[in-house]
Amino acid sequence: MNNSAIPAVQAADPPTRRRLPRNASLIIGLVLTGIFLLVALASFFYLPSNPNVPDIRHRLLPAGAPGHWLGTDVLGRDIVAQLMVGARTSILVGAGGATLSLLFGTITGLAAAAAGKLTDETISRGADIMLSIPGMVTALVLAATLGSGALTTILALTAFFTPSFTRVIRSAAMGVLQEDFITAARLYGRGRIFVLARHVLPNIAGVMIVQFTLYFAAGILTEAGLSYLGVGVHRPSISWGMMLNEAQQQVGVSSPLAIWPGFAIVLLVLGLNLLGDGLRDVLDPKLSRRRG
Amino acid sequence: MSGANALEVHNLVVRHDMLTAVRGLSFALPVGGRMGLVGESGSGKTLTALALMGLLPMGWQADGSVLHDGVDLIRQSDRALAHRRGRTISMVFQDPLSSLDPVRRVGYQVSSVIRRHMKTSRREAERQTIELFRQMSLPRPEQLVRAYPHEISGGQRQRIMIAMALACYPQLIIADEPTTALDVTVQKQVLRLLNGAVEQRGCALLMITHDLPIIAAMCDTVAVMYAGRIVEMGPVGQVFRSPRHHYTRGLLESQPTMDNIALDGSSRLTSIPGMVPPLHSLPTGCAFHPRCAAATEKCVAEVPTLEGGTRRAACWHPVESMAEAAAS
Amino acid sequence: MTTHTNAPLPTNEAMRPILEMRQVTQTYTLARQKLFEARPTLTVLDHIDFDVRPGEAVGLVGESGSGKTTLTRILTGMEQPREGHVLFDGRDVWTAEPSHRQLFRRSVQVVMQNPRSSLDPRMRLGASLLEPLRSLRIEGDHAARVYQVLDQVGLSRNALERFPHEFSGGQLQRIAIARALMSGPKVLIADEPVSALDVSIQAQVLNLLKDLVRDLGLALVFIAHDLSVVAYTTSRVSVMSAGRIVEIGKPLDLFTHPKAEATRNLVGAILTVESGLAGNALA
Repeated sequence: MNNSAIPAVQAADPPTRRRLPRNASLIIGLVLTGIFLLVALASFFYLPSNPNVPDIRHRLLPAGAPGHWLGTDVLGRDIVAQLMVGARTSILVGAGGATLSLLFGTITGLAAAAAGKLTDETISRGADIMLSIPGMVTALVLAATLGSGALTTILALTAFFTPSFTRVIRSAAMGVLQEDFITAARLYGRGRIFVLARHVLPNIAGVMIVQFTLYFAAGILTEAGLSYLGVGVHRPSISWGMMLNEAQQQVGVSSPLAIWPGFAIVLLVLGLNLLGDGLRDVLDPKLSRRRG
Repeated sequence: MSGANALEVHNLVVRHDMLTAVRGLSFALPVGGRMGLVGESGSGKTLTALALMGLLPMGWQADGSVLHDGVDLIRQSDRALAHRRGRTISMVFQDPLSSLDPVRRVGYQVSSVIRRHMKTSRREAERQTIELFRQMSLPRPEQLVRAYPHEISGGQRQRIMIAMALACYPQLIIADEPTTALDVTVQKQVLRLLNGAVEQRGCALLMITHDLPIIAAMCDTVAVMYAGRIVEMGPVGQVFRSPRHHYTRGLLESQPTMDNIALDGSSRLTSIPGMVPPLHSLPTGCAFHPRCAAATEKCVAEVPTLEGGTRRAACWHPVESMAEAAAS
Repeated sequence: MTTHTNAPLPTNEAMRPILEMRQVTQTYTLARQKLFEARPTLTVLDHIDFDVRPGEAVGLVGESGSGKTTLTRILTGMEQPREGHVLFDGRDVWTAEPSHRQLFRRSVQVVMQNPRSSLDPRMRLGASLLEPLRSLRIEGDHAARVYQVLDQVGLSRNALERFPHEFSGGQLQRIAIARALMSGPKVLIADEPVSALDVSIQAQVLNLLKDLVRDLGLALVFIAHDLSVVAYTTSRVSVMSAGRIVEIGKPLDLFTHPKAEATRNLVGAILTVESGLAGNALA
């Protein structure tokens, strides 16, 4: 038996490779998302030029042109300015849709988990029905009845995403409700609402935050799709999807026009998804171990 | 050299990043021998078993050597190990419900092991399965093979797991807390069946449990693990009747069994103070020293070695035997 | 093998039961098997009589499925029995006025099997300990009460600021016991309190429960599947089988002269180191 070898083994450098990529996705996600948030905020204070005023003399300038880093579109409007205002729309619509669906999803999910079998059946089957309606159809119907715009898009996203939140929060809450500390709280006399607010919510907060970031990203994609189809926002508002729509009409003339908004969408969605993944690992160690 | 041993473990180390859960384990299990590995949660006993099977969870890594059937299991490819598992070594896990596939009939799960390793026909494998079920005293084996895991009791499930482990006449069975999840009244029956089957086939048994009476009933040698090391080992009778390590003695005295309590509530168990140290802050020297009444500065500074013949204890101040204590 | 011998646990037969079940029957309605047939019912508890007196530790043993869990749920007021009565201090808790229900809630507390699951992982232990006082609206010096209870279970004050994951199972079970003691209960119901704990820790918790019965005059109901653990902790044991209490007796009598078949099975199931070494344990 060679005991002298053992302390050396303990002191050996730990293999840290496994932990690195996990933190990396969190950091890259934070940086990407943070940059776009800053850009959106900055657009309120500074824009290179007015993104809605046509300037026919400077139409279709290439990237790198003086005063227009990324060039101008077919009406001579600055691409950078449009992207900056577009970030505002994307973040507003994505965050708005994700926030509202998180709110409604939490209420319905907790009710389904805790308020008895009949409520659960009603809410769960309701969610199933909602999920079986294609989201784009919901959005088109809403746009047709309420008129298109950022608010309508947020409402459409909410209708589209809420059932998914309901399901996730219901199952997470049911897991927590089975724990003994819930029984203990009921035994010393706590009511259902208190138990949900003080014991269940803090314990599913991690799941909620991760879901929020993922649906934030999905909301941005959906908004881009709707605006591309022409049922999203309209000028003077600007969105990346709308920019894609406008650029598509000019593909033969100037293809780089479609690249910039597409690039912005990809980067922000990627950032949010990485952030969600990183947060999942940080907030829920149990889950990360299973994902291994 | 390893011909006479079903299993020879040399300086086994199991670790994960900074954590070292098994810190240099060495023991030998002769062909047909039965050894008990005693330990609490955090002692490293389950990771030891998984390391022997090549089934360590993601991120855990084993070093040292584990000789079995002429090869070093630690240096085998996963494919070679997969070929061995269930054939020359098999394992019985604690929870029989999660170790059986819920969507397959139990008979199929056993016969597929036989078909994989023994290359028999389907009909022959099914016949052997029914015969194994009969040996495990399972009721109406012809019908039971068609049952799904959730349709039968926990005791029956564990007997099926044992049947599966025995199916290919392995040289070694590793049983990790095989009766902990079962009702007490079923435990004895399952142990009896396992005991009989191991005896009849002459295979070696490595029994991993925290339950000392089970070791006493099933094994001929015992190794007591604490914080990743073996602190005492030897023939079961000697270790349990006159433990030399203070931890072994503590374990024997702190479990209420009919051996050590009066039945009018008047007795008081000696408890081991403190708690099992977490892996990330193991004490220096003898890991048991913070909980040991006999600890001195030497125990804090130096790791006691496990030396001697068949009867060994890693302790600087071993417990005097009962006879010596009485004489002094 | 024992260090110091205490007096035998008292049985307190002269005192009136503090918590009592009289002829309690509990049935569950199962799902319909065929469309036009009545739903089948399952009798989980069948005319159970059970009581515990102040300062007395009583045990309840039985295999899984014998009805222990349902009995615990009814005894703690989590479930209302279909028939029969649960009496606290001589009065039915389900028909008494709200103030008596409230007294019952304060006075009957539970220690559960798995301490890790029984404490909210996102709550500091201090907050967990205060929860019963806040929930039951118990007035007084809460901080002093917390310190007093920590002393009773042998934990230091610096535990209060920490979270459950920083503790071992044995320490968490002490904290769970501390929380159960916060409201000043008269009855402690311990449902398999040591079976999830490390072996070397079990004796600490069992000894603590015994001390609480002696020092605080608590009534203890100790539920377990392991007859030897129950025999160590209690002075009177009820054996359950298939929804009935089939035998009640002192541990010594149950071991030496078990009458019911269920008792014989439980006694026969006990393995000891001595019988194992003698080679006749599995005979």
